[in-house]
Amino acid sequence: MSEKIYAFLLRLFPSPFRRAYGEEALQLFRDRARDEKGFFPSFRLWLDLLADLGFSLPRQYFHVHRALLAASAQPRLNGIPSFFVLEDESPRPGALLFGAIFTLAAVAAISVLIGQRGRYRPLDSWIAQTQRANGAPSSASGLPAPQRTGVPQEEALASGQQSVDASSFGPGDTELNRFQADQAMRSRGSGIPQPQAQPPIPQDATSAWLPAAANDVKLDVAERQRVLDAAIANLKAYYVYPDVARKMADALRAHQKNGDDAATTDGEAFAGLVTGQMREVSHDLNLELVYSKDPLPQLSAEPTAEDLARYRKRMEQANCMLEKVEILPHNIGYLKLNFFPDTSVCQSRATAAMATLNDADAVIFDLRENTGGFPNMVALIASYLFDHPEYFYNPREAPTEQSWTRSPVPGNRLADKPVYVLTSAQTISGAEQFCYNLKMLKRATLVGETTQGSAHAGVWHRIDEHFGMSITETKAINPFAKTDWEGTGVEPDVKEPAKDALEVALKLAQSKLQKK
Amino acid sequence: MPKKTLDPLPSAAFQILLSLAQEDLHGYAIMRQVAEQTDGRMRLGPGTLYSSIQTLLEAKFIEEVDVREDAKLGRERRRYYRLTVAGRKLARAEAERLGDLLRVARARKIFRGDYV
Repeated sequence: MSEKIYAFLLRLFPSPFRRAYGEEALQLFRDRARDEKGFFPSFRLWLDLLADLGFSLPRQYFHVHRALLAASAQPRLNGIPSFFVLEDESPRPGALLFGAIFTLAAVAAISVLIGQRGRYRPLDSWIAQTQRANGAPSSASGLPAPQRTGVPQEEALASGQQSVDASSFGPGDTELNRFQADQAMRSRGSGIPQPQAQPPIPQDATSAWLPAAANDVKLDVAERQRVLDAAIANLKAYYVYPDVARKMADALRAHQKNGDDAATTDGEAFAGLVTGQMREVSHDLNLELVYSKDPLPQLSAEPTAEDLARYRKRMEQANCMLEKVEILPHNIGYLKLNFFPDTSVCQSRATAAMATLNDADAVIFDLRENTGGFPNMVALIASYLFDHPEYFYNPREAPTEQSWTRSPVPGNRLADKPVYVLTSAQTISGAEQFCYNLKMLKRATLVGETTQGSAHAGVWHRIDEHFGMSITETKAINPFAKTDWEGTGVEPDVKEPAKDALEVALKLAQSKLQKK
Repeated sequence: MPKKTLDPLPSAAFQILLSLAQEDLHGYAIMRQVAEQTDGRMRLGPGTLYSSIQTLLEAKFIEEVDVREDAKLGRERRRYYRLTVAGRKLARAEAERLGDLLRVARARKIFRGDYV
């Protein structure tokens, strides 16, 4: 038995050595095994043999290698390529069989690993976090960044206040406006007007400003009165439905009379209270009174060329928030998009991403971490999913030429492919527009959670250094239903926890493709 | 090529040369002889033994003499090896080198007693 084992180990040696000394080595082993009987000697024998193998094997192969080098020197001089084989005997059938099995196992292991890659993403998510941290610095304060000054009549109306169109992406918009709007949307998407998410003002910061900032230590009656008056004036002047605005004004006054907010001396709490009172009447989640401990910026500043360059660079560094574009097994295209950036900066990257997916048999859009963005990018990506222009409803604006997708896209093959959109409770704003329209047009299957429910149709109005509000000023006609996703979110077709959405969508896509 | 692997002379190769100094031996006998002359400290495994033999053969420090049975070890036929003149010279040179080393070591008084 042990001789067989050793004979097997001997096969590890190169064949010239085996041929010359294999029999003798075996003989020596037999001799030793015969002479060294008993537990300890045979244990020592095997220890010797293994150590011997460890030492002499590398030396033998080195030996063979050098012999080959010497042999190959001559023919190479002719300049004719030639090959040398280490062993001149043909491989044993056993070796061939072993090689075949090993290769199969290796290929299987690699394909399993490739299949798992999509699900194993600690690194990807870490990169995404870094990108977000770099990409949205304005969210640190939780405040909308400076936006462009409002249209003239707004300025005339608002006495001492400035209003800003934070979410109008009409056809007349310049690049700068889009840039500003982008900033605003981003800060909103990650901060303020989410009913679930309080403005991310750190606790320690709140306590820090109390002694430091003398001018807003506590809200007194007069300040509350002033803010409330301004809010009511803004509502009456701008709110899309004047009758609702009146009702809200009455409600706010009534609450004030009842002393409902008399006890509130904290700006943030006061803003929350008033917001609640306004929404109680209007059920409009775009309405919000915002408090900021940092002075709200005056809104005159146009972004400079440097601002714009910085923004472009940041977008490019973040690969236009295209976190992942790949073809998954079964030729299913996968695009993870965390933001719909402005087409003026990111059109080429978006086009390239869609080109990558062009030959896929199905496409999955992963919007689970998407914080919204620009309708022009929403429309651009959606353009690939249709073979004729489709109207894409946007609650922020009345229909314009740009409300239609630019379908058909030349060379595009995705127009009739199954589409799946992954959603989560964080999916918001522009991403919800994408989901909503594709769902209503029955072009995509939504998989995941109900989206956050924020149409972001509000326009930002600054009241003073610390207060501002967002007001819904326009309502576009919704061709699909009475309500959009404001406050309710977009319901998925297939309800799944967000973390499982990809897996489920993949299964759906696979079974759909198999049926074909 | 063999020149390189034998310079400096590996201790296994030197021991094999020494083991063959008295008489022709086959592989297993070489191994036992080496174990004996090193008080059991060096037990050559088959791989080391035969690759050393191979190298020494190629360098013509040893040669194969004949194939015959070893009466003590049964009826198996074994290949016997013999030290060549060059091999004997090499062993002597190595022994002298070691002798020189030994003298230096003695002069530096690294030995406790004076028995070496």
